[in-house]
Amino acid sequence: MKNDLGTQAQLTLEVSKPRRRSLNTLLQHHSVPMLMLLPFMLLFVVFMVYPVLKSLYLSFTDYNAVRDPTFIGIQNYREILADPRFYKALQNTTIYTFASVILTNIIGLGLAMAFGSQRVLDQILRGIFFLPAVAGGIAIATVWKWILSSEDYGLLNTIIGWFGVESISWLGTPKFAVPVLIMYTVWNGLGYSMILFVSNLRSIGNELYEAAAIDGASPMQRFVAITVPLLRPTFIYTTVTGIIGAFQVFSEPYIFFADVHNVGGILDSGLTVVTYLFEKGFYRFQMGEASAVAWILFAICFVLTLINLRVQRANESVQ
Amino acid sequence: MMVGEKRNPWLDQLIRFPFYLLALFVLLPYYWMATAAFKPLSEIQARPPSFLIKEPSFHNFFDPRWKFGEVSTLQDVTQGLFQRYEVGYLGQIFANSLGITIFVTLFSLLLASAAAYVLVKHKFWGANFIFGLIIASMMVPWEVTIIPNFLTIRDLGWINSYQALLIPGLAKAFTVFFFRQVIMNMPNDLFEAAKIDGANEFRIWWQIVLPLLRPALAAMVIFVSLAEWNNFMWPLIVVNDASHMTLPLQLSQLAGDLSKDPRSAGVVMAATLLVSLPALVIFMLFQKDFINGLTAGSVKG
Repeated sequence: MKNDLGTQAQLTLEVSKPRRRSLNTLLQHHSVPMLMLLPFMLLFVVFMVYPVLKSLYLSFTDYNAVRDPTFIGIQNYREILADPRFYKALQNTTIYTFASVILTNIIGLGLAMAFGSQRVLDQILRGIFFLPAVAGGIAIATVWKWILSSEDYGLLNTIIGWFGVESISWLGTPKFAVPVLIMYTVWNGLGYSMILFVSNLRSIGNELYEAAAIDGASPMQRFVAITVPLLRPTFIYTTVTGIIGAFQVFSEPYIFFADVHNVGGILDSGLTVVTYLFEKGFYRFQMGEASAVAWILFAICFVLTLINLRVQRANESVQ
Repeated sequence: MMVGEKRNPWLDQLIRFPFYLLALFVLLPYYWMATAAFKPLSEIQARPPSFLIKEPSFHNFFDPRWKFGEVSTLQDVTQGLFQRYEVGYLGQIFANSLGITIFVTLFSLLLASAAAYVLVKHKFWGANFIFGLIIASMMVPWEVTIIPNFLTIRDLGWINSYQALLIPGLAKAFTVFFFRQVIMNMPNDLFEAAKIDGANEFRIWWQIVLPLLRPALAAMVIFVSLAEWNNFMWPLIVVNDASHMTLPLQLSQLAGDLSKDPRSAGVVMAATLLVSLPALVIFMLFQKDFINGLTAGSVKG
């Protein structure tokens, strides 16, 4: 008993004293949490922070992955910004990004409004639209490659043949390369945006619609005045993440268009910024130039995100 | 969605009709894959393509005309998937993909939750700076890091190794950020009480934080494991031998065969079916959790 009281007194005494910052107490206080933080931080620094700094350095060097890098200033950036293939890649990626983000948003919202209820049929349909988000990836891109085939076993050509349209070489005709990529991406992503819109639509109460209906607002007016503004959080999310994701597209154009010599398909019609980067880095081993492409990509994504958030904020303050 | 009014059911169905067509369009590749996997070569080569299977067969998986012990060559179209790639070899690729997905999911979430907890609830000099760094890194496209990471892996002598497939993907900034939002909302009293009871930070994380993080963990399990199962670019860069192959990588090579020789379409479809099947089955069993998990990452109004 007496002992207990003693420690108690000691404890209060210690607390009231100004904390002694001896190395010993520091270690005692921090060692366990620091050990918990260490594995993540170690990996984060080695595979994230260091590579970011190193790729910035490499982008100013001539480096073929064998000889030591030599510093050449902004020459890589100059060369890339003078390369017509880069502009082709940028143009393809820009068209692809905006078309697929806009279409995915519009169709996703349409699906959410058409099949948003808890009826069994609607749940099944939502499951169908969501399927590619789960069982997508390389496997289904391979199936698509076959469906799009220009040979006469190509399914898409058979289908358009029913409507009297001539067979098209989908992956081999330059003007169809980007539209095919857009079609695949919308097919793949509309279920995900649908689900996000469904959960946002559910958060909008019925009272608003009822009040508006009593005031005599038409369904169209209610949609424009209530639904669209209240869906803003989802629009922001799908647009920002969609733009960043689309600008980094790699697997699909690689599966559809790459072969041993060329990653972009005929006349680079399916070349994107990241497949261009991949070709520079891992086909030609121009690591410096590839790093410069990566930093240009970073700058583009950064600016697009800032513009996006600025526009959304401006809209917000208007309302 | 505009509830509380009578609508014309015919008009309703008319508006919905294009969406029903769209549903068919979404299902089409899956239907095509599943039927083609069981079509004999003659039906796969049929012109025009047929939507039905007239004589279902397993030839694409295992061709009975093939005799055991014959040497497999990619060019031989009479071979099924399991003969073209020996069963053991396919099994290894499957095991590689499964093992990598499980390992990366499990350990990246453990590391991230421990880091997030320490950074939120254990005040020390530099914690905010580290958080700032982690959040800033989320702005950097992943492609910026691949070239230096490839060089690191090469310099470590890790090309064609499991380490290369497992280690670089473990530090995921997004999961730390996500867990941080959840942990910040956990009441401090809980941790104070545990500390008074003599628990150290490790025990608090293991016995209090992790159980409370459960919904957030479930969301991230889906997020991380799907991405890992489909990961393509990184294995493409660091692996080129057979024993470290992953499914997406092997499939992309098979898809290359398809463009050289359309007769292998049936075998390729058998393989794609095999790869998507686990995802399909899990999706059907856990549809609700999948959808809840994926929407958990988005901002809600």
